[in-house]
Amino acid sequence: MNLRAVAVPAPLRPWLAVASLLALATALCQALDAQVSLTSQAMIYVLAVVIAAYRLAWPASVACAVGAVVALNFFFVPPRWTFEVESQEHFIALAVMLVVALVISRLAGGLRHETQAARLNEQRARQLQRLASELVSATQPQAVCQLGQAALTAAFAGPCQLVLANSHGEPEPGEGLEPLVRDGLRSCMKERAVLGPGTGRWPGLDAWYLPLRDQDDVFGAACVRPALANDEGGREHAQALCALLAQALGRLRMGQAMQAARSEADRQQLQSTFLAAISHDLRTPLAAIVAAASSLQTQRERLDAAAQARLLQGIVNEADYLSSMSDNTLQLLRLAQPGQSLQLGWESLEEIVGAVLGRVRQHDTARRIRARVPDGLPLVRADAVLLSQLLANLLDNALKYSEGEVELMVALRDGCVALCVKDRGPGIPEAEREAVFQPYMRGDRSGRRGTGLGLAVCRAIAQAHGAQLLLRPRAGGGSSFCLQLPIEAQPHTPEAPA
Amino acid sequence: MSLRVLVVEDDREIRTLVQSALALEGFEVQTAVTLSEASALLQHSPPDLVILDLGLPDGDGLQLVQQVRRQSSLPIVVVSARHQEAQKIALLDAGADDYLSKPFSVAELLARMRVALRHRGTALAAAVTEHVLDDLRVDLVTRTVTRDGLPVHLTPTEFKLLACLVRSAGRVLTHRQLLADVWGPEYTEHTHYLRLYMGQLRAKIERDPAEPRHLLTETGVGYRLAED
Repeated sequence: MNLRAVAVPAPLRPWLAVASLLALATALCQALDAQVSLTSQAMIYVLAVVIAAYRLAWPASVACAVGAVVALNFFFVPPRWTFEVESQEHFIALAVMLVVALVISRLAGGLRHETQAARLNEQRARQLQRLASELVSATQPQAVCQLGQAALTAAFAGPCQLVLANSHGEPEPGEGLEPLVRDGLRSCMKERAVLGPGTGRWPGLDAWYLPLRDQDDVFGAACVRPALANDEGGREHAQALCALLAQALGRLRMGQAMQAARSEADRQQLQSTFLAAISHDLRTPLAAIVAAASSLQTQRERLDAAAQARLLQGIVNEADYLSSMSDNTLQLLRLAQPGQSLQLGWESLEEIVGAVLGRVRQHDTARRIRARVPDGLPLVRADAVLLSQLLANLLDNALKYSEGEVELMVALRDGCVALCVKDRGPGIPEAEREAVFQPYMRGDRSGRRGTGLGLAVCRAIAQAHGAQLLLRPRAGGGSSFCLQLPIEAQPHTPEAPA
Repeated sequence: MSLRVLVVEDDREIRTLVQSALALEGFEVQTAVTLSEASALLQHSPPDLVILDLGLPDGDGLQLVQQVRRQSSLPIVVVSARHQEAQKIALLDAGADDYLSKPFSVAELLARMRVALRHRGTALAAAVTEHVLDDLRVDLVTRTVTRDGLPVHLTPTEFKLLACLVRSAGRVLTHRQLLADVWGPEYTEHTHYLRLYMGQLRAKIERDPAEPRHLLTETGVGYRLAED
C-alpha cells in the first residue's frame, strides 16, 4: 500500500483542516439525525468550531464558524436543504455560534502567543546563562568578542556585528564595516546608550546599536538586526547579552591591571633586594681587595714573600668572586626582561660539561669534582652559554658549601637528559628548599659569602629552556641539584656516526 | 728589533696596565683610544699585532678588522666582555685571529698573542703539518694519528676536521669557519654536524672525553686545539 502523504502547500493546510472538520461534523450529525435533537447537532458543530478556533489562526476559525452556521442551517435547520431560517430562535443560535467561535479563537490565539513568548524568553534566558558560563573561561578580549558574535548571530536573524573599542574608544579600523554601521557603532560608544528603533534615539535606523558598557568603561559596541520598534523583548535581550560581554571584558581588563600591578611590585621587590645585596655582597669583597692592596702598598718591605703572595692571591680571588657575581646579576636581569631570546642551538652536554670543568678546575685544585658522562648522549636544544653558566654555578656552590667529593652526573631518563650535581654538604632544610632559588637567599648560616644569585640564575635559565631544576636531599647527607632537559627529535646528520 | 703592538682600548686603567705589562715583556707598545685613531695609526705605522677592545665609543671594530684584512694578515686579538658572543663571532669570522674575555690575566693575554704571532703569515710560510702534545701525535702528511704510540683510525670527515684544527693549533676556530672548511660554505648553519663529529673525535683521541685535554670547546664561539 502506498502510504505516502499527499503533499499539501502550507498556505492551504488550515483551509483543508476547516473543510475536514465541517465534513466530519456534518457526517456525525447526519448519522445521529434520527436519535438526537437539533440542539445536540448544533453542539457537535460548536465542538468543531471550538477545535478550529483553538488550533487555527483567526481567519480560519471565523471561516469555520461561518461554515458551521451555514452547514447547520442548510442540512439540519428546517426547512432542510435551504439557506432559509425559519424561526428567530434558530437565528439566535447561529449568531451565538459565530460569537463563540470568535471569542475562543481570540482566547486561543492569545494563549498561543503567550506560549510562544514564554518559550522565546526561556530560550533567551538559557542563552544568557550559557554565554555567562562560556565567558568565564575566555582569557582574551578576542575570545569574548567571538563568543559575543556567535551569541548575537544565534539570537537574531542578523546580520549582526560586534567590535571592540581601541585605545581611543573607537571601533578598530579596517574590519570591513559599512560607513553607516561604523558611524552607528562610534556614536553609541560615544553616547554610551542604545540607539535605534524604539529607543527614542535615532529611531530611523534599521538596526539597534548597543554599547558594551560596564560602569564607566565602554569596551566596544554591537549592531543588531532586525530591529523593530515594538520588539521590546528582543531589544532587552540584546542589551542583556551586551551587558554580559561588557562585564567579561571589564573582568579581563581588571585582571590585566592587577597582573601589571603585581609584576611592578615584584620588580620593585627585586630591585630593593638587589640594592640591599649590592650594599653587602659587593662591598665586602671590595673591602678585602682594598685592604690587601693597600697593605701591599704601605707595608711591602716588612712583609715576607709568602705573605705578599697570600695578599695577591686574595686580591685575585675576591676579584674573581666579584666577576662571577656581576655575571650572575646581569644574567638574572637579562632573563627577567620580557621578550629576552635564547640563542638556541643543537648542543652537546659532553662539550658543555668539558668546557665548564676546564674553568671550574682552576678553583678545584684538590680535584674534588668527579664527572660521569655516558657515551652517545643525544644533542639538546639549548643556549650553550646559559647552560654553562648554570652548571658552573651549581659546581661553584657545591665546592663552596661542602667539603667532600662532588659528583657531576649526566644520565638519560624518561625522555629527559638529567644533569645532576651532588654534594655531601650539610644539606638544605626542607623549609628552605624553595627559598634558596630566590635571589639573595642562602642556605648557610655560617656567615660565609656566596653568590646569592647563583641558584636564582640557575632556575631562571632552566625555566627559559622549559626545563626543571630540582633540589633533593641525598640519602646519607648532602644535596642533589638536577636539571631535567627534555630531549627533542634529533636533527638530520650527514652520515651514520662511525 | 722588538715587535710592535697596537693596543686599542678606551678604558685608561686597562690600557695603561696592558701597556706596561707588554713593555715589560719587551714589546714596543702603541695605544689608541678610538677606532678612528687606531685606523690612522695602522695606515701610518703598521704594527706586528693589534689588541682590539670590543665596545669602543665609535663602533664595534668590525670595519677595522675588515679594513686590515683587505691589506694584510696582521694578527688581531679581540678583547671582549662576556655576553658579547655575537660580536665576538662576527669579528672572528671577519678575520680576527683570536679573542680573550674580560677579566683576563696577563698570562692569558701573552699566550694568545704568542699563538697569533706564530700563525702570522701562515698563507706564505710553510703550512703546519705536525702536531704533538702529550699523548697525541697528528701527522698531516702521512695522515696518521696516534695516541700513546698506538694508531687511531679516523673517518675521512673526522680527519678533515682534526686537520683543520691542527693547522690552527692554539687558535680558536668558529663554528662557521670549521663548517665551511670541512663540509662547504653551504653548511655554515649546521652546527649539529660539528657537535656529533667533535664528540666522535673526542671519543677516539681523548683519555676522558668529558674533560678534554686536546679538543677544547669555546662555549658559544667554536673550538680550539690545545697546544700546551
